Amino acid sequence: MADAPLQGKLIEFKGASLAVMTAHVRDTEAVRLADALHMMLGGMPDFFAGEPTVLDFAQLANIPERVDWTAILSLLRRYQVQPIGVRNLPETLHDGARRAGLALLGAEGLSAEQRVIAPPPAPAPVVETPPAAAPAPASSEAVNIVAPTLIVDRPLRSGQQVYAKGGDLVLLAGMSPGSEVIADGSIHCYGHLRGRALAGARGDTSARIFSTNFGPELVSIAGVYRTFERGIPQAVAGRGAQVKLTGSDNLHTLEITPLQND
Amino acid sequence: MARVIVITSGKGGVGKTTTSASISTGLALRGFKTAVIDFDVGLRNLDLIMGCERRVVYDLINVVNGEANLHQALIKDKHCENLFILPASQTRDKDALTEEGVEKVLKELEHMAFDYVICDSPAGIERGAVMALTFADEAIVVSNPEVSSVRDSDRILGILQSKSRRAMEGREPVKEHLLVTRYSPKRVEEGEMLSYKDVQELLRVPLIGVIPESDDVLQASNQGTPAIHLKDSDVAAAYQDVIARFLDEDRPLRFVTYEKPGILKRLFGGK
Repeated sequence: MADAPLQGKLIEFKGASLAVMTAHVRDTEAVRLADALHMMLGGMPDFFAGEPTVLDFAQLANIPERVDWTAILSLLRRYQVQPIGVRNLPETLHDGARRAGLALLGAEGLSAEQRVIAPPPAPAPVVETPPAAAPAPASSEAVNIVAPTLIVDRPLRSGQQVYAKGGDLVLLAGMSPGSEVIADGSIHCYGHLRGRALAGARGDTSARIFSTNFGPELVSIAGVYRTFERGIPQAVAGRGAQVKLTGSDNLHTLEITPLQND
Repeated sequence: MARVIVITSGKGGVGKTTTSASISTGLALRGFKTAVIDFDVGLRNLDLIMGCERRVVYDLINVVNGEANLHQALIKDKHCENLFILPASQTRDKDALTEEGVEKVLKELEHMAFDYVICDSPAGIERGAVMALTFADEAIVVSNPEVSSVRDSDRILGILQSKSRRAMEGREPVKEHLLVTRYSPKRVEEGEMLSYKDVQELLRVPLIGVIPESDDVLQASNQGTPAIHLKDSDVAAAYQDVIARFLDEDRPLRFVTYEKPGILKRLFGGK
Protein backbone atom coordinates (compact mmCIF):
# COMPACT_ATOMS: atom_id res chain seq x y z
CA MET A 1 0.00 0.00 0.00
CA ALA A 2 2.69 2.39 0.98
CA ASP A 3 4.40 1.58 -2.29
CA ALA A 4 2.73 4.21 -4.40
CA PRO A 5 3.96 7.40 -2.73
CA LEU A 6 7.47 6.00 -2.48
CA GLN A 7 7.55 4.90 -6.08
CA GLY A 8 9.60 7.78 -7.32
CA LYS A 9 12.16 7.59 -4.51
CA LEU A 10 13.75 4.19 -4.47
CA ILE A 11 17.00 6.03 -4.18
CA GLU A 12 17.56 9.47 -2.90
CA PHE A 13 20.67 11.63 -2.74
CA LYS A 14 21.33 13.94 0.12
CA GLY A 15 24.37 15.80 1.29
CA ALA A 16 25.95 14.52 4.48
CA SER A 17 29.04 15.37 6.38
CA LEU A 18 30.74 12.57 8.14
CA ALA A 19 33.84 12.30 10.23
CA VAL A 20 36.44 10.03 8.73
CA MET A 21 39.84 8.95 9.88
CA THR A 22 42.92 9.95 7.89
CA ALA A 23 45.85 7.60 7.53
CA HIS A 24 49.09 9.32 6.62
CA VAL A 25 50.87 6.83 4.45
CA ARG A 26 54.60 7.43 4.08
CA ASP A 27 55.48 4.34 2.07
CA THR A 28 53.68 2.43 -0.66
CA GLU A 29 55.48 -0.90 -0.28
CA ALA A 30 52.83 -3.28 1.09
CA VAL A 31 55.37 -5.46 2.89
CA ARG A 32 56.87 -2.59 4.83
CA LEU A 33 53.42 -1.23 5.67
CA ALA A 34 52.40 -4.66 6.89
CA ASP A 35 55.40 -4.76 9.22
CA ALA A 36 54.63 -1.29 10.51
CA LEU A 37 50.97 -2.11 11.14
CA HIS A 38 51.91 -5.32 12.85
CA MET A 39 54.31 -3.44 15.13
CA MET A 40 51.65 -0.87 15.87
CA LEU A 41 48.63 -3.10 16.35
CA GLY A 42 50.13 -6.57 16.85
CA GLY A 43 47.42 -8.48 18.64
CA MET A 44 44.47 -6.28 17.73
CA PRO A 45 43.48 -7.10 14.17
CA ASP A 46 40.02 -5.62 14.63
CA PHE A 47 41.20 -2.40 16.22
CA PHE A 48 39.60 -0.13 13.63
CA ALA A 49 36.21 -1.83 13.44
CA GLY A 50 35.56 -0.96 9.81
CA GLU A 51 36.13 2.75 10.10
CA PRO A 52 36.02 4.69 6.83
CA THR A 53 39.47 6.07 6.17
CA VAL A 54 41.09 8.47 3.75
CA LEU A 55 44.65 7.65 2.78
CA ASP A 56 46.79 10.79 2.72
CA PHE A 57 49.99 10.59 0.72
CA ALA A 58 51.25 14.13 1.39
CA GLN A 59 54.16 12.81 3.42
CA LEU A 60 55.20 10.14 0.95
CA ALA A 61 58.98 9.76 1.18
CA ASN A 62 59.58 9.05 -2.52
CA ILE A 63 57.22 8.65 -5.41
CA PRO A 64 57.16 5.11 -6.77
CA GLU A 65 56.58 4.15 -10.41
CA ARG A 66 53.52 2.17 -9.59
CA VAL A 67 51.65 1.07 -6.49
CA ASP A 68 50.21 -2.36 -5.73
CA TRP A 69 46.82 -1.10 -4.62
CA THR A 70 45.33 -4.57 -4.27
CA ALA A 71 47.97 -5.53 -1.74
CA ILE A 72 47.65 -2.29 0.24
CA LEU A 73 43.87 -2.41 0.33
CA SER A 74 43.70 -6.03 1.40
CA LEU A 75 46.33 -5.34 4.06
CA LEU A 76 44.29 -2.45 5.45
CA ARG A 77 41.06 -4.42 5.32
CA ARG A 78 42.71 -7.14 7.33
CA TYR A 79 42.96 -4.57 10.12
CA GLN A 80 39.35 -3.56 9.46
CA VAL A 81 40.36 -0.24 7.99
CA GLN A 82 37.92 0.68 5.21
CA PRO A 83 39.74 2.92 2.71
CA ILE A 84 37.30 5.15 0.83
CA GLY A 85 39.61 7.47 -0.99
CA VAL A 86 43.01 9.04 -1.36
CA ARG A 87 44.29 12.57 -1.26
CA ASN A 88 47.57 14.32 -1.97
CA LEU A 89 48.44 11.44 -4.23
CA PRO A 90 51.04 12.20 -6.93
CA GLU A 91 49.34 12.72 -10.29
CA THR A 92 51.11 9.73 -11.89
CA LEU A 93 49.41 7.34 -9.53
CA HIS A 94 45.87 8.63 -9.97
CA ASP A 95 44.84 6.08 -12.59
CA GLY A 96 45.79 3.11 -10.47
CA ALA A 97 43.96 4.45 -7.43
CA ARG A 98 40.84 5.11 -9.48
CA ARG A 99 40.95 1.60 -10.90
CA ALA A 100 41.25 0.24 -7.36
CA GLY A 101 37.93 1.89 -6.59
CA LEU A 102 39.28 4.73 -4.47
CA ALA A 103 37.89 8.25 -4.69
CA LEU A 104 40.37 10.99 -5.51
CA LEU A 105 39.77 13.67 -2.95
CA GLY A 106 40.99 17.21 -3.23
CA ALA A 107 44.05 18.43 -1.40
CA GLU A 108 41.92 20.42 0.99
CA GLY A 109 40.51 17.69 3.11
CA LEU A 110 37.10 16.58 2.02
CA SER A 111 36.39 19.64 -0.02
CA ALA A 112 34.59 17.44 -2.50
CA GLU A 113 32.03 16.76 0.16
CA GLN A 114 31.89 20.38 1.17
CA ARG A 115 30.57 21.00 -2.26
CA VAL A 116 27.91 18.36 -1.90
CA ILE A 117 26.68 19.90 1.32
CA ALA A 118 26.05 23.31 -0.23
CA PRO A 119 22.59 22.83 -1.75
CA PRO A 120 22.96 25.06 -4.80
CA PRO A 121 25.76 23.35 -6.70
CA ALA A 122 28.50 25.92 -6.97
CA PRO A 123 29.33 26.90 -10.55
CA ALA A 124 32.71 26.89 -12.17
CA PRO A 125 34.94 28.74 -9.70
CA VAL A 126 34.95 25.85 -7.28
CA VAL A 127 38.70 25.84 -7.48
CA GLU A 128 38.63 29.02 -5.42
CA THR A 129 39.02 26.62 -2.47
CA PRO A 130 36.91 27.04 0.62
CA PRO A 131 38.89 28.10 3.69
CA ALA A 132 41.23 25.30 4.53
CA ALA A 133 40.32 25.12 8.19
CA ALA A 134 36.59 24.81 7.61
CA PRO A 135 36.17 21.05 7.20
CA ALA A 136 38.13 20.05 10.26
CA PRO A 137 36.17 21.81 13.03
CA ALA A 138 32.94 20.87 11.34
CA SER A 139 33.75 17.19 11.49
CA SER A 140 35.06 17.26 15.05
CA GLU A 141 31.84 18.91 16.14
CA ALA A 142 29.91 16.13 14.51
CA VAL A 143 31.96 13.60 16.46
CA ASN A 144 31.15 15.26 19.76
CA ILE A 145 27.45 15.12 19.12
CA VAL A 146 27.21 11.51 18.05
CA ALA A 147 29.70 10.09 20.57
CA PRO A 148 28.71 10.91 24.12
CA THR A 149 30.59 9.58 27.11
CA LEU A 150 30.86 5.81 27.22
CA ILE A 151 30.13 4.37 30.68
CA VAL A 152 31.18 0.86 31.70
CA ASP A 153 29.42 -0.42 34.83
CA ARG A 154 31.06 -3.81 35.22
CA PRO A 155 34.66 -4.60 36.06
CA LEU A 156 36.77 -4.76 32.92
CA ARG A 157 38.49 -8.14 32.81
CA SER A 158 41.88 -9.24 31.57
CA GLY A 159 41.76 -9.47 27.78
CA GLN A 160 38.78 -7.17 27.42
CA GLN A 161 39.05 -3.98 25.48
CA VAL A 162 36.89 -0.90 25.33
CA TYR A 163 37.18 2.01 22.95
CA ALA A 164 35.29 5.23 23.57
CA LYS A 165 35.20 6.59 20.08
CA GLY A 166 35.16 10.33 19.87
CA GLY A 167 34.53 10.91 23.56
CA ASP A 168 35.33 10.23 27.19
CA LEU A 169 35.30 6.89 28.92
CA VAL A 170 34.05 6.33 32.47
CA LEU A 171 34.84 3.06 34.26
CA LEU A 172 32.68 2.54 37.33
CA ALA A 173 34.10 -0.78 38.49
CA GLY A 174 37.76 -0.48 37.62
CA MET A 175 39.86 -2.53 35.27
CA SER A 176 42.05 -5.59 35.75
CA PRO A 177 45.62 -6.24 34.68
CA GLY A 178 45.72 -7.29 31.05
CA SER A 179 42.70 -5.24 30.00
CA GLU A 180 42.88 -2.19 27.77
CA VAL A 181 40.86 0.99 27.50
CA ILE A 182 41.16 3.54 24.75
CA ALA A 183 39.35 6.86 24.50
CA ASP A 184 39.56 9.70 22.07
CA GLY A 185 38.85 11.94 25.05
CA SER A 186 39.73 11.45 28.71
CA ILE A 187 39.52 8.30 30.83
CA HIS A 188 37.90 8.44 34.26
CA CYS A 189 38.35 5.30 36.33
CA TYR A 190 36.58 4.90 39.66
CA GLY A 191 38.42 1.99 41.21
CA HIS A 192 41.47 0.01 40.20
CA LEU A 193 43.24 1.22 37.09
CA ARG A 194 45.38 -1.82 36.31
CA GLY A 195 45.69 -2.56 32.60
CA ARG A 196 46.62 -0.25 29.76
CA ALA A 197 44.91 3.13 29.50
CA LEU A 198 45.25 5.21 26.34
CA ALA A 199 43.56 8.60 26.26
CA GLY A 200 43.51 11.11 23.43
CA ALA A 201 43.82 8.27 20.96
CA ARG A 202 43.28 10.58 17.99
CA GLY A 203 45.84 13.05 19.18
CA ASP A 204 43.95 15.19 21.67
CA THR A 205 46.81 16.42 23.86
CA SER A 206 44.44 17.92 26.42
CA ALA A 207 42.97 14.52 27.30
CA ARG A 208 43.72 13.18 30.77
CA ILE A 209 43.50 9.96 32.73
CA PHE A 210 41.98 9.96 36.22
CA SER A 211 41.81 7.10 38.66
CA THR A 212 40.92 6.65 42.31
CA ASN A 213 43.32 3.70 42.56
CA PHE A 214 46.31 4.16 40.32
CA GLY A 215 48.41 1.19 39.20
CA PRO A 216 48.33 0.74 35.41
CA GLU A 217 50.64 -1.29 33.20
CA LEU A 218 50.84 1.53 30.69
CA VAL A 219 49.37 5.00 30.29
CA SER A 220 49.34 7.02 27.11
CA ILE A 221 48.01 10.41 26.10
CA ALA A 222 47.96 11.36 22.44
CA GLY A 223 50.57 8.72 21.72
CA VAL A 224 53.00 9.73 24.46
CA TYR A 225 53.20 6.68 26.65
CA ARG A 226 54.84 5.42 29.79
CA THR A 227 55.30 1.98 31.31
CA PHE A 228 56.17 1.23 34.91
CA GLU A 229 58.96 -1.30 34.85
CA ARG A 230 60.37 -0.03 38.12
CA GLY A 231 56.97 0.10 39.78
CA ILE A 232 54.42 2.83 40.18
CA PRO A 233 55.76 5.97 41.90
CA GLN A 234 55.13 5.82 45.66
CA ALA A 235 53.20 9.07 45.75
CA VAL A 236 50.46 7.74 43.49
CA ALA A 237 50.57 3.93 43.79
CA GLY A 238 47.15 2.65 44.82
CA ARG A 239 45.85 6.18 45.28
CA GLY A 240 43.90 8.78 43.41
CA ALA A 241 45.98 10.19 40.59
CA GLN A 242 45.75 11.94 37.26
CA VAL A 243 47.90 11.78 34.18
CA LYS A 244 48.22 14.71 31.84
CA LEU A 245 50.46 15.91 29.09
CA THR A 246 52.66 18.92 29.72
CA GLY A 247 55.12 20.82 27.56
CA SER A 248 54.58 21.87 24.01
CA ASP A 249 54.87 20.58 20.46
CA ASN A 250 57.75 18.17 20.29
CA LEU A 251 58.61 18.11 23.96
CA HIS A 252 55.57 16.51 25.54
CA THR A 253 56.02 14.72 28.83
CA LEU A 254 53.53 12.77 30.88
CA GLU A 255 52.96 14.14 34.32
CA ILE A 256 51.43 11.92 37.01
CA THR A 257 50.19 13.72 40.08
CA PRO A 258 48.18 12.64 43.13
CA LEU A 259 44.58 13.77 43.25
CA GLN A 260 43.56 15.77 46.29
CA ASN A 261 40.72 13.73 47.69
CA ASP A 262 40.20 15.46 51.03
CA MET B 1 14.15 -25.64 34.52
CA ALA B 2 17.56 -27.29 34.54
CA ARG B 3 20.11 -24.86 35.87
CA VAL B 4 23.40 -25.02 33.97
CA ILE B 5 26.52 -24.39 36.06
CA VAL B 6 29.96 -24.19 34.49
CA ILE B 7 33.05 -24.96 36.55
CA THR B 8 35.82 -23.00 34.90
CA SER B 9 39.17 -21.34 35.60
CA GLY B 10 41.25 -20.57 32.53
CA LYS B 11 44.33 -22.13 34.09
CA GLY B 12 44.83 -25.87 34.28
CA GLY B 13 45.48 -27.93 37.38
CA VAL B 14 43.64 -25.66 39.78
CA GLY B 15 40.94 -28.18 40.70
CA LYS B 16 38.12 -27.82 38.19
CA THR B 17 37.43 -31.52 37.82
CA THR B 18 37.78 -32.20 41.55
CA THR B 19 35.32 -29.37 42.13
CA SER B 20 32.92 -30.56 39.41
CA ALA B 21 32.87 -34.03 40.95
CA SER B 22 32.29 -32.76 44.48
CA ILE B 23 29.73 -30.10 43.59
CA SER B 24 27.67 -32.45 41.43
CA THR B 25 27.84 -35.12 44.12
CA GLY B 26 26.92 -32.60 46.81
CA LEU B 27 23.88 -31.39 44.89
CA ALA B 28 22.79 -34.96 44.18
CA LEU B 29 23.15 -35.86 47.87
CA ARG B 30 20.80 -32.96 48.62
CA GLY B 31 18.20 -34.67 46.44
CA PHE B 32 18.60 -32.76 43.19
CA LYS B 33 18.71 -34.71 39.96
CA THR B 34 22.11 -33.75 38.65
CA ALA B 35 24.18 -34.42 35.53
CA VAL B 36 27.86 -33.66 35.21
CA ILE B 37 29.36 -33.28 31.73
CA ASP B 38 33.07 -33.53 30.93
CA PHE B 39 33.87 -30.96 28.22
CA ASP B 40 37.55 -31.82 28.15
CA VAL B 41 37.29 -33.73 24.88
CA GLY B 42 40.54 -35.55 24.20
CA LEU B 43 41.78 -35.32 27.79
CA ARG B 44 39.01 -37.17 29.56
CA ASN B 45 39.46 -37.10 33.35
CA LEU B 46 36.14 -36.72 35.08
CA ASP B 47 35.31 -40.42 34.68
CA LEU B 48 38.47 -41.29 36.64
CA ILE B 49 37.68 -38.87 39.44
CA MET B 50 34.12 -40.22 39.59
CA GLY B 51 35.40 -43.79 39.43
CA CYS B 52 33.31 -44.80 36.42
CA GLU B 53 36.05 -45.13 33.78
CA ARG B 54 35.33 -48.81 33.22
CA ARG B 55 31.70 -48.15 32.41
CA VAL B 56 32.20 -45.63 29.60
CA VAL B 57 30.59 -46.91 26.42
CA TYR B 58 29.29 -43.81 24.68
CA ASP B 59 30.38 -40.23 25.27
CA LEU B 60 29.41 -36.60 24.75
CA ILE B 61 30.64 -36.52 21.16
CA ASN B 62 28.64 -39.64 20.27
CA VAL B 63 25.55 -37.87 21.53
CA VAL B 64 26.42 -34.59 19.77
CA ASN B 65 26.88 -36.51 16.53
CA GLY B 66 23.71 -38.51 17.02
CA GLU B 67 25.58 -41.83 17.17
CA ALA B 68 24.06 -42.62 20.55
CA ASN B 69 21.19 -41.26 22.53
CA LEU B 70 21.58 -39.53 25.85
CA HIS B 71 20.09 -42.43 27.83
CA GLN B 72 22.78 -44.73 26.49
CA ALA B 73 25.61 -42.32 27.22
CA LEU B 74 24.70 -41.16 30.73
CA ILE B 75 26.45 -43.22 33.40
CA LYS B 76 24.74 -43.60 36.73
CA ASP B 77 27.00 -42.72 39.65
CA LYS B 78 27.97 -45.59 41.94
CA HIS B 79 27.40 -43.56 45.13
CA CYS B 80 24.37 -41.39 44.46
CA GLU B 81 20.97 -42.23 43.14
CA ASN B 82 20.43 -38.82 41.50
CA LEU B 83 23.77 -38.32 39.80
CA PHE B 84 24.65 -39.05 36.17
CA ILE B 85 27.94 -38.60 34.36
CA LEU B 86 28.35 -37.77 30.69
CA PRO B 87 31.99 -38.45 29.87
CA ALA B 88 34.09 -36.73 27.23
CA SER B 89 35.44 -38.54 24.22
CA GLN B 90 39.09 -39.48 24.54
CA THR B 91 39.73 -40.12 20.87
CA ARG B 92 38.40 -36.86 19.43
CA ASP B 93 39.37 -33.24 19.92
CA LYS B 94 37.54 -30.08 20.89
CA ASP B 95 36.60 -29.23 17.32
CA ALA B 96 34.09 -32.06 17.51
CA LEU B 97 32.01 -29.89 19.85
CA THR B 98 29.42 -27.76 18.11
CA GLU B 99 27.21 -25.15 19.65
CA GLU B 100 24.09 -26.79 18.19
CA GLY B 101 25.19 -30.19 19.46
CA VAL B 102 25.82 -28.96 22.99
CA GLU B 103 22.55 -27.06 23.01
CA LYS B 104 20.73 -30.20 21.91
CA VAL B 105 22.28 -32.23 24.75
CA LEU B 106 21.35 -29.59 27.32
CA LYS B 107 17.79 -29.33 26.01
CA GLU B 108 17.40 -33.06 26.25
CA LEU B 109 18.72 -33.10 29.81
CA GLU B 110 16.11 -30.51 30.65
CA HIS B 111 13.39 -32.75 29.19
CA MET B 112 14.70 -35.55 31.37
CA ALA B 113 13.86 -33.34 34.38
CA PHE B 114 17.37 -32.68 35.58
CA ASP B 115 17.61 -29.94 38.22
CA TYR B 116 21.28 -29.14 37.70
CA VAL B 117 23.73 -29.68 34.86
CA ILE B 118 27.36 -29.20 35.87
CA CYS B 119 29.73 -28.49 32.98
CA ASP B 120 33.33 -29.35 33.75
CA SER B 121 35.30 -26.99 31.53
CA PRO B 122 38.72 -27.77 30.09
CA ALA B 123 41.59 -25.37 30.79
CA GLY B 124 42.33 -22.60 28.34
CA ILE B 125 40.08 -20.15 26.56
CA GLU B 126 39.65 -22.04 23.31
CA ARG B 127 36.73 -23.91 21.85
CA GLY B 128 36.23 -26.49 24.62
CA ALA B 129 36.20 -23.89 27.37
CA VAL B 130 33.93 -21.56 25.41
CA MET B 131 31.51 -24.41 24.62
CA ALA B 132 31.37 -25.33 28.31
CA LEU B 133 30.37 -21.81 29.35
CA THR B 134 28.19 -20.81 26.41
CA PHE B 135 24.94 -22.01 27.95
CA ALA B 136 25.76 -21.38 31.60
CA ASP B 137 23.31 -19.80 34.00
CA GLU B 138 25.86 -19.73 36.78
CA ALA B 139 29.63 -20.01 36.84
CA ILE B 140 31.91 -21.22 39.58
CA VAL B 141 35.31 -19.78 38.82
CA VAL B 142 38.01 -21.86 40.45
CA SER B 143 41.18 -20.02 41.35
CA ASN B 144 44.34 -20.88 43.27
CA PRO B 145 45.75 -18.17 45.52
CA GLU B 146 48.49 -17.34 43.07
CA VAL B 147 48.81 -14.47 40.59
CA SER B 148 48.82 -16.35 37.30
CA SER B 149 45.75 -18.33 38.28
CA VAL B 150 43.98 -15.15 39.33
CA ARG B 151 44.77 -13.45 36.06
CA ASP B 152 43.50 -16.41 34.05
CA SER B 153 40.32 -16.43 36.12
CA ASP B 154 39.90 -12.77 35.37
CA ARG B 155 40.26 -13.52 31.67
CA ILE B 156 37.65 -16.27 31.79
CA LEU B 157 35.25 -13.94 33.64
CA GLY B 158 35.63 -11.55 30.73
CA ILE B 159 34.84 -14.33 28.28
CA LEU B 160 31.75 -15.25 30.31
CA GLN B 161 30.62 -11.67 29.96
CA SER B 162 31.09 -11.63 26.23
CA LYS B 163 30.54 -15.13 24.87
CA SER B 164 27.88 -16.71 27.04
CA ARG B 165 24.40 -16.94 25.53
CA ARG B 166 23.06 -14.81 28.35
CA ALA B 167 25.51 -12.07 27.43
CA MET B 168 24.94 -12.40 23.68
CA GLU B 169 21.18 -12.20 24.07
CA GLY B 170 21.40 -9.36 26.57
CA ARG B 171 19.66 -11.35 29.28
CA GLU B 172 20.51 -11.22 32.98
CA PRO B 173 24.24 -11.95 33.17
CA VAL B 174 25.68 -15.29 34.25
CA LYS B 175 25.78 -15.43 38.05
CA GLU B 176 29.42 -15.63 39.08
CA HIS B 177 30.90 -17.35 42.13
CA LEU B 178 34.52 -17.46 43.19
CA LEU B 179 35.95 -20.65 44.67
CA VAL B 180 39.50 -20.48 46.01
CA THR B 181 41.10 -23.93 46.07
CA ARG B 182 44.39 -25.42 47.26
CA TYR B 183 44.46 -22.86 50.03
CA SER B 184 47.19 -23.10 52.61
CA PRO B 185 46.57 -20.80 55.59
CA LYS B 186 50.10 -21.45 56.80
CA ARG B 187 51.68 -20.22 53.60
CA VAL B 188 49.35 -17.23 53.57
CA GLU B 189 50.44 -16.47 57.11
CA GLU B 190 54.04 -16.65 55.98
CA GLY B 191 53.34 -14.28 53.13
CA GLU B 192 54.09 -16.86 50.41
CA MET B 193 50.55 -17.07 49.11
CA LEU B 194 47.80 -14.59 48.34
CA SER B 195 45.05 -14.59 50.94
CA TYR B 196 41.51 -15.38 49.84
CA LYS B 197 40.70 -11.75 50.55
CA ASP B 198 43.39 -10.66 48.11
CA VAL B 199 42.01 -12.99 45.46
CA GLN B 200 38.52 -11.73 45.99
CA GLU B 201 39.62 -8.13 45.89
CA LEU B 202 41.44 -8.75 42.62
CA LEU B 203 38.51 -10.54 40.98
CA ARG B 204 35.59 -8.71 42.61
CA VAL B 205 33.31 -11.75 42.47
CA PRO B 206 31.32 -13.06 45.48
CA LEU B 207 33.21 -15.80 47.32
CA ILE B 208 31.39 -19.12 47.57
CA GLY B 209 34.09 -20.97 49.47
CA VAL B 210 37.70 -21.75 50.23
CA ILE B 211 38.95 -25.32 49.84
CA PRO B 212 42.10 -26.10 51.82
CA GLU B 213 45.14 -27.71 50.22
CA SER B 214 45.14 -31.33 51.32
CA ASP B 215 46.63 -34.72 50.51
CA ASP B 216 43.10 -36.08 50.79
CA VAL B 217 42.33 -34.77 47.30
CA LEU B 218 45.02 -36.90 45.67
CA GLN B 219 43.90 -39.91 47.64
CA ALA B 220 40.29 -39.36 46.61
CA SER B 221 41.28 -39.00 42.94
CA ASN B 222 43.26 -42.21 43.03
CA GLN B 223 40.32 -44.03 44.55
CA GLY B 224 37.87 -42.58 42.08
CA THR B 225 35.74 -41.13 44.84
CA PRO B 226 34.73 -37.46 44.78
CA ALA B 227 36.49 -35.65 47.64
CA ILE B 228 33.18 -34.60 49.20
CA HIS B 229 32.58 -38.26 50.23
CA LEU B 230 35.72 -38.43 52.39
CA LYS B 231 35.15 -38.96 56.09
CA ASP B 232 36.75 -36.55 58.57
CA SER B 233 38.31 -34.46 55.86
CA ASP B 234 38.55 -30.66 55.80
CA VAL B 235 38.18 -30.75 52.03
CA ALA B 236 34.90 -32.67 52.23
CA ALA B 237 33.58 -30.30 54.91
CA ALA B 238 34.62 -27.26 52.86
CA TYR B 239 32.80 -28.62 49.78
CA GLN B 240 29.70 -29.29 51.93
CA ASP B 241 29.84 -25.63 52.93
CA VAL B 242 30.07 -24.60 49.28
CA ILE B 243 26.93 -26.59 48.47
CA ALA B 244 25.13 -24.99 51.41
CA ARG B 245 26.11 -21.48 50.31
CA PHE B 246 25.15 -22.30 46.75
CA LEU B 247 21.68 -23.15 48.06
CA ASP B 248 21.59 -19.81 49.90
CA GLU B 249 22.30 -21.20 53.35
CA ASP B 250 24.51 -19.12 55.61
CA ARG B 251 27.82 -20.76 56.49
CA PRO B 252 30.87 -19.06 58.00
CA LEU B 253 34.21 -19.62 56.24
CA ARG B 254 36.26 -22.45 57.72
CA PHE B 255 39.85 -23.63 57.29
CA VAL B 256 41.15 -20.18 56.44
CA THR B 257 43.19 -19.40 59.55
CA TYR B 258 46.48 -20.94 60.51
CA GLU B 259 46.11 -22.53 63.91
CA LYS B 260 49.58 -22.38 65.41
CA PRO B 261 51.00 -18.96 64.71
CA GLY B 262 54.10 -18.16 66.74
CA ILE B 263 54.04 -14.83 68.52
CA LEU B 264 57.12 -13.64 66.68
CA LYS B 265 55.57 -14.52 63.36
CA ARG B 266 52.48 -12.56 64.28
CA LEU B 267 54.63 -9.56 65.03
CA PHE B 268 56.83 -9.73 61.95
CA GLY B 269 55.10 -11.83 59.30
CA GLY B 270 53.59 -9.75 56.47
CA LYS B 271 49.83 -10.14 56.42
